Amino acid sequence: MFSDFAALIVLLPVIAFVLTLFLGKKLPHGGAYLPIAAIAGSFIISAGIFLEIYPEGIVQQSIPWFSSGSSTMNMGILIDPLAIVMLLMVTFVSLLIHIYAVGYMSHDPAKSRYFAETSLFTAAMLSVILSDNILQFFISWEVVGVCSFLLIGFWYHKPSAAAAAKKAFLVTRIGDVLFLAGIVMLYVELARIIENPANAFEIGSGNFILQFKTMFEAIPLIDKTQLTYITLLFFGGAVGKSGQFPLHGWLPDAMEGPTTVSALIHAATMVTAGVYLVARTFPMFAATPDTISHGVPDALLVVAYIGGFTALFAATMGLVMNDIKRVLAYSTVSQLGYMMLALGTAGAVLGSKAVGISMFHLISHAFFKALLFLCAGSVIHAVGTNDIREMGGLFSKMKITAVTMFIAALSLAGIGIPFLNIGTAGFFSKDMIIEGAFEYGEVTGDMIPYAFAVIAALLTSIYIFRLWFMAFTGKPRSERHSHESPSVMTIPLMILAVLALFFGFSHTGFYGYVESNFELMGVDLGVHEGEPFHPSVIVILLPVIVGVVGFLIAYLIYNKRILDMSKIISSQNPLYKLLYNRYYEPKIGADLIGVKLTHDVAAQTGEFIDRKIIDGLVIDTIISSTIFKIGEVIRKMQTGVVQNYASITILGVALLLVLLRLEFGGI
Amino acid sequence: MGLYSYLLISIIIFTIGVYGIITQRSGIKILMCIELLLNSANLNLVAFSSFNGNATGQVFALFSIAIAAAEAAIGFAILVALFRLRDTINLDNINILRW
Repeated sequence: MFSDFAALIVLLPVIAFVLTLFLGKKLPHGGAYLPIAAIAGSFIISAGIFLEIYPEGIVQQSIPWFSSGSSTMNMGILIDPLAIVMLLMVTFVSLLIHIYAVGYMSHDPAKSRYFAETSLFTAAMLSVILSDNILQFFISWEVVGVCSFLLIGFWYHKPSAAAAAKKAFLVTRIGDVLFLAGIVMLYVELARIIENPANAFEIGSGNFILQFKTMFEAIPLIDKTQLTYITLLFFGGAVGKSGQFPLHGWLPDAMEGPTTVSALIHAATMVTAGVYLVARTFPMFAATPDTISHGVPDALLVVAYIGGFTALFAATMGLVMNDIKRVLAYSTVSQLGYMMLALGTAGAVLGSKAVGISMFHLISHAFFKALLFLCAGSVIHAVGTNDIREMGGLFSKMKITAVTMFIAALSLAGIGIPFLNIGTAGFFSKDMIIEGAFEYGEVTGDMIPYAFAVIAALLTSIYIFRLWFMAFTGKPRSERHSHESPSVMTIPLMILAVLALFFGFSHTGFYGYVESNFELMGVDLGVHEGEPFHPSVIVILLPVIVGVVGFLIAYLIYNKRILDMSKIISSQNPLYKLLYNRYYEPKIGADLIGVKLTHDVAAQTGEFIDRKIIDGLVIDTIISSTIFKIGEVIRKMQTGVVQNYASITILGVALLLVLLRLEFGGI
Repeated sequence: MGLYSYLLISIIIFTIGVYGIITQRSGIKILMCIELLLNSANLNLVAFSSFNGNATGQVFALFSIAIAAAEAAIGFAILVALFRLRDTINLDNINILRW
């Protein structure tokens, strides 16, 4: 019953977007209730569909959209386990954040624009999730990018926000171009396969060329080298959207938007689109040839290394940031790296289990990271600054925020009790990723991704508890009057805290359900399914040990202050300088590539060619002057003397009469 | 006196009108020549109407006369305005609408 209304999941927020945009200013709270109601509706439909199709149903609806040559593109909906878990997470988290935003944005004069944009964003993200073909996926993906641009630059009167919005747009654009190139290559390849009668490959009735189903069916026929290029180009798109190295720089800058935007887009939902893309097209990644490392598909190797490196790289920068949101932003980059790492490493040795592992971390991350951001928002709302050096001692004033944030930090650090299977959501999800990386190391002898994952876990724990201790314990470091946030803000915090604590217990059911995804779609992954995995005790304990060690380090340094950090934090320390300047990424990215190369070299050359050669030489001396001279001659015809015009008219009529006579033999 | 006599007169009047429009310089004369053109057409209409035994042509002629009157009124009004402005209605001097 609910699956008949699947399209409404996307359409309801779209309708809310239009209504809020035009009517929001006249409604109370900037029309916030429209998107809240719409997203609640989407959530209810998603939940209804989930109950209908669980455990092994799939909803597929597709209509032709347009034809190009002999191939027809379509628009459609595909709800499989992968999509439904994302749907539930996005609608639910988005709903909570919208409710929270009613409180958080209450003083903002432009709040109706805010709610309209977040509503459109939610619709676009849901459309990404529901797409049954790569073209619609790409279009929705771009709408998501536009909404991200609009929301980062929400306070566009701030130059830093406008610059951050521009940076986010341009940097993700690099990824989008790669993604589009991948789609084009895939289309060409598919068209070639279909045209060749030797392949005997036909698209079944009701299926279309760029549908995921068709793509997966055609995998064995796609040229292997081409497949590597296509998947790497897709991964390029994912790198841009999910802030992976080297396109990670936009995500921390995106913190210029309202905190709720950071929570919604740059933590919970949008940035996971890249991971979702890799998970969605996982069979293609898994089918790439293993030219570099034996038994590991090339594309997955790249995914694993980029992801693992990003996880570690971003965590190091998280250690030294002083802006509460920036710490969380680097944490997001790092955790997205974990998800990629899981897809790469576990994908190589465990096949489709990797999708389950990665998605489980994606969803538990969505809960605890949204919670962290909302807590940060609550703190910022109360003390009016982003700088954790100016906070401190907030625990007594903001108990709910402090406790929920502590829960989120525990979950992010992956604290739990091994063997008893008790722990936070992050404990279960991160444990599986690290164990998957270990098994990858066992099978292939390549322990580097595992090392990345473990060291990053230690750093994660240090930076998040550093943040917590600096903000909530010790003495207040400024004279600000701070207070607990209103209940419209604290209730979403508590709901998310419950999920961050207890979501982990669904792990066995979750893995089994999401793993079955590609089997349900009838795809044979052809990846070696490893032996049942029995890691040694130390491997099981290590993630928790590093988590606890990280907690203790942060506790001793930032609460007990056994170490005077002011000596280490100085502009003299080269390591600190390197980290604090974010590995000079803004310098390299914006100044060198953006200004020097793009503006000074490329744009100046372009300007020279345009102004001097095209405008100056070609147009001025050749085209323009010729036309000008002709005009000089012809314009003499306009004498201004009425009789001349009359004479010409009469001559014309006479000529017409003669012609008529000649042509038809009579007048 | 068949149809041809009327058509002949019509052609003569038309030709005089065209000649006048091309050669004359005075605005009033040109307007009068335009009247000649219109009237030659009217003459044709009436002649053909009578020849075919059909009244439609005569109705057309009446319309045409009415429109000619309106056109003449506007034309003379323009000429009066021009004369007040430029002290001349010699169209050779009124030629600023050009390159």
